[in-house]
Amino acid sequence: MVRAQRIEDLEQLLAQRGQALLRTAVLLTGSIEAGEDLLQSAIERLLRQGRRLEGDPEGYLRRTLSNLATDGYRRQGRWRRRLLILQAEADAPADATAEVDLRDALMRLLVQLPPQQRTVLVLRYWEQLSGAETAKLLGCSEDAVKSAASRGLRLLRELAGSWQYAGAHQQT
Amino acid sequence: MDVEDLLREGMERFTEEVPVPRGLVHKAARARRRRMTIRAAMAAGTAAVTAAAVIAVTGAGTGAGTGGVTNARTTAYVIGRVENALAAENFVIQGQATGADAFSVHGHRVRDSNEPTSSWTYRNLWRTEEFTGISCGHARPNGVCTNHGGSEPYVAQGTARIGGRLLSVYVTYYNHRYSLSPRGHFHLKACSKTAQLGLGGPAVTIPDWPAFIKAILGCQHATVTGHARISGVQTIVISGLIDIPLSKGYARMVKEPRVRVRYTLDVDSATYLPVRIYSSTETYGGAAGPTVSAYVTNVRWLPPTKANIAKALVTIPPATSG
Repeated sequence: MVRAQRIEDLEQLLAQRGQALLRTAVLLTGSIEAGEDLLQSAIERLLRQGRRLEGDPEGYLRRTLSNLATDGYRRQGRWRRRLLILQAEADAPADATAEVDLRDALMRLLVQLPPQQRTVLVLRYWEQLSGAETAKLLGCSEDAVKSAASRGLRLLRELAGSWQYAGAHQQT
Repeated sequence: MDVEDLLREGMERFTEEVPVPRGLVHKAARARRRRMTIRAAMAAGTAAVTAAAVIAVTGAGTGAGTGGVTNARTTAYVIGRVENALAAENFVIQGQATGADAFSVHGHRVRDSNEPTSSWTYRNLWRTEEFTGISCGHARPNGVCTNHGGSEPYVAQGTARIGGRLLSVYVTYYNHRYSLSPRGHFHLKACSKTAQLGLGGPAVTIPDWPAFIKAILGCQHATVTGHARISGVQTIVISGLIDIPLSKGYARMVKEPRVRVRYTLDVDSATYLPVRIYSSTETYGGAAGPTVSAYVTNVRWLPPTKANIAKALVTIPPATSG
């Protein structure tokens, strides 16, 4: 009975906030399917710890999404190889759609970033959290957040730089 | 526009099509129940966890995006075990590949068998041998089939020990010739287009293919899709589908903008080593219409005895000139 009530509460929460949570999960993972899996994992954890529903279930889900994204993907260790490939394979845009292409390329690169950098960028630029809020949510220092954000942005800027250079080079 | 603004805008655009999640809570509850069942099975020692998870996944008929967490975790678990098994293996690997091409000629579908290929690999030693196949039979010195005489060795490629040195060698049996070259370092960049395209061909023609398979499995295309019994061996089936946009130059050359590579690995559920690999490359257009080139490679893992290791070296036949 209690479990059924808990599921109903969660259904209600997801009806109101599900899309926002899923959008964050999609950004953390890079695809709708993986985002759904990630959100489902977070819900599973929440179901396991039912008492937290009485507190701030959305906050718990957000924290779990970030932590799962950071921990789960850290273990895979695939990003480094994929990042190099993505950089090597980035094609230069040749027309006025360059900015749109660059934006898409940035999103592809975002997905390939190391988990902590990606999570920090999503929380800072998507969730609009401050450095302190991000640090609290991830359970790390504010310096670690700053460092991860600056390293992530640097990589994105490098891509943007090489993109623009390549675009200009191709047009000459 | 600044990168930070582009990033914000990109995030907005990237997620604008994200649907409202439906039924996720029930899926999570079901996944949790399933996981608890698997744990219970483990605790009771009644079943191997992988088999249980695989059966749970396939029994539930889950697919990408809906199969969710259990499938993803089962896949991660199985692939982790396969990667470890491939990294730790100390076997002479024997592969036998057969294949066929299907394409259209003047609107008629044609199926053409590819030559059987065999390979032996042991650490940095490898030998791949291609046969003429029964339909080709004996090959003339110009390489053309006589269509009689049965299948015979056509070409061999790999490593050979010449004067105490390990060299690369290429032998063409039909004209009794060979060529030597310094042994190159084989390295395919994991997840690269070259590696993905290579996956669509017969697995035996790739030197050090355990490393190649390991690298490909790390590219997140693979999913555990079920289990099968192959030659009496219980296997876990890992499948993947990769849609590969070709580079402009290559696309122009083959008159195809992209190809689709499918693969299936049947791994021994006890050792996690692959025992059979299906691979195919599909194209969609071009002069020959849609084409499918498919291969089946059977793999045996043999003890590294002297005799077996010797098979991983190319022997230059007598009366063959360089």
